[in-house]
Amino acid sequence: MEEYPLQVKELEKCFRKKLGLSSFKALDSISFHLSPGEILGFIGPNGAGKTTAIKCILGLLKPSKGKVTLWGSNPASLEVRRRIGYVPENPDYDDSFTPIEFLTMFSSMRRLEQKKEQMLAILDRVGLSKWGNVRIRSFSKGMRQRVSLALALQSEPDLLIMDEPTGGLDPAARKEFRDIILAERQRGASVFFSSHLLSEVETICDRAVILSSGKMVIEGRLEDLMRTEDHYRITYIISDDEPKELEVEADALQKRIDDLRAEGYSIIAVNPLYRSLEEVFLSATDGGGR
Amino acid sequence: MKPVMTFALMTLRNLLRRRAIWGISIVILISLFGIGQIPSYGVSNEGRFILDFGLFGLEIGALLLAIGLASNIYPRDRERKTVMPIIAVPLSRGQYLMGRFVGAAIVEAAAMLVGCIGLMIILIINGHAVPADMLPATGLLLVEGWFLLAVVFFFSFWTSPPLNAPLTVLLFIVSQMSVAGFIKLFPQAPGLMRTLRLLLPHMDVFHIKDPIAHGIDIPGLYFFLAMLYGLAYMAFMLSIALAIFRSKDLK
Repeated sequence: MEEYPLQVKELEKCFRKKLGLSSFKALDSISFHLSPGEILGFIGPNGAGKTTAIKCILGLLKPSKGKVTLWGSNPASLEVRRRIGYVPENPDYDDSFTPIEFLTMFSSMRRLEQKKEQMLAILDRVGLSKWGNVRIRSFSKGMRQRVSLALALQSEPDLLIMDEPTGGLDPAARKEFRDIILAERQRGASVFFSSHLLSEVETICDRAVILSSGKMVIEGRLEDLMRTEDHYRITYIISDDEPKELEVEADALQKRIDDLRAEGYSIIAVNPLYRSLEEVFLSATDGGGR
Repeated sequence: MKPVMTFALMTLRNLLRRRAIWGISIVILISLFGIGQIPSYGVSNEGRFILDFGLFGLEIGALLLAIGLASNIYPRDRERKTVMPIIAVPLSRGQYLMGRFVGAAIVEAAAMLVGCIGLMIILIINGHAVPADMLPATGLLLVEGWFLLAVVFFFSFWTSPPLNAPLTVLLFIVSQMSVAGFIKLFPQAPGLMRTLRLLLPHMDVFHIKDPIAHGIDIPGLYFFLAMLYGLAYMAFMLSIALAIFRSKDLK
């Protein structure tokens, strides 16, 4: 059986402050994994350590402690890195090149030997088909983000690592990005999706890891995270009336059901209440970590 | 090797699109034009003057080009975070360094070749013979230019661009000093200064404009050994630069 596409074990990263007399712990013993074909949301307030963690995963930063493995191997291995697509936060590529030039060079550096038609198809997929031969200099932030996504998708990666990929995009473009991410999952890729746009994480992710001040505060399936243990919704009905709903605390649940039955109502359903991811996030990070 | 050459080509195209390189090239062309005017001053042995000044111009041009080409490559990549998606996925740090270096080295070689041809044309126009050793002499200056490129890359991994240029120029000056001259800088510790001088590069081996200008024959073995020395020192500097780069966190 193949190892997890991504596994992080007790990862710690400290940065020295000026003069090296003291240090700042940007990541404090975080552990999680990404399963094959899964979309994992990596969320946290600004300064929580998301980008630091991603840089450790990509081998751009050396962990102070702990371990990062990609399919069980060291992230520095070129073999492993060929299976990755990376969308950085605020990409600032050399703007004297065109998207086609970039794709050509990255194709060669990755030993993909792609034809121009294939590159045009990738550009079409990210909405840049008409801009293939225009220098990036004239591109907006959103268009640069699309170039970045095109470069990440070029190698049909098994693992997509995305750091705030939809930060500079308008709502329509965000939807396009989400559709592409879901299509990639459908193809079999695993996606590591860092964002602070909780609605996006809620829409596309299977699981989430919440980070606050460098520490992992919550990790789990979104459904589990959002389900409350202490509040339930009772749906009940009497004769031909419209069904009614009632929210009750867990402690009072049984008594309320008994009362409703005594009053002649039929109980249709009892379901746990779900919070929004925003509520989960705010409660886990003490109001956003500020 | 292919990823390195592709990245080198990318670097080359990027450098050629930068204004600074064309500025340096214009300075070199103006210098050559100025050297071409030497005969109008009526000096004796004008052929020697043209050769002497011309090769000196190429030597300084190699230094300026090395600084102009390489001092800002890595700091710019780091500041704009261009380095991250490249190192994170398709290339290793070693491939990144080699690609950037080879791209800059090609520009340096092209500029030196153009400078050498320009100097030959000036000599011919003024009715002087082109010495047989001129091309190998330019080759030595090119090796020196590549070595300086490696030095600039080495400094760029741990200093800022404004500090990189003076440090490179300082090394350029110091590495041409004799052992006796170097000891004079700090006569209290002659042993230390002697050792230090031996460890520092000896760029004087690349400068053979005087014997060429005076028509002194230089053995082929000298060119071979001097080039070998330059290339070995260049490889050494690149290795240290890579060791520093590998140890760096890309924040």
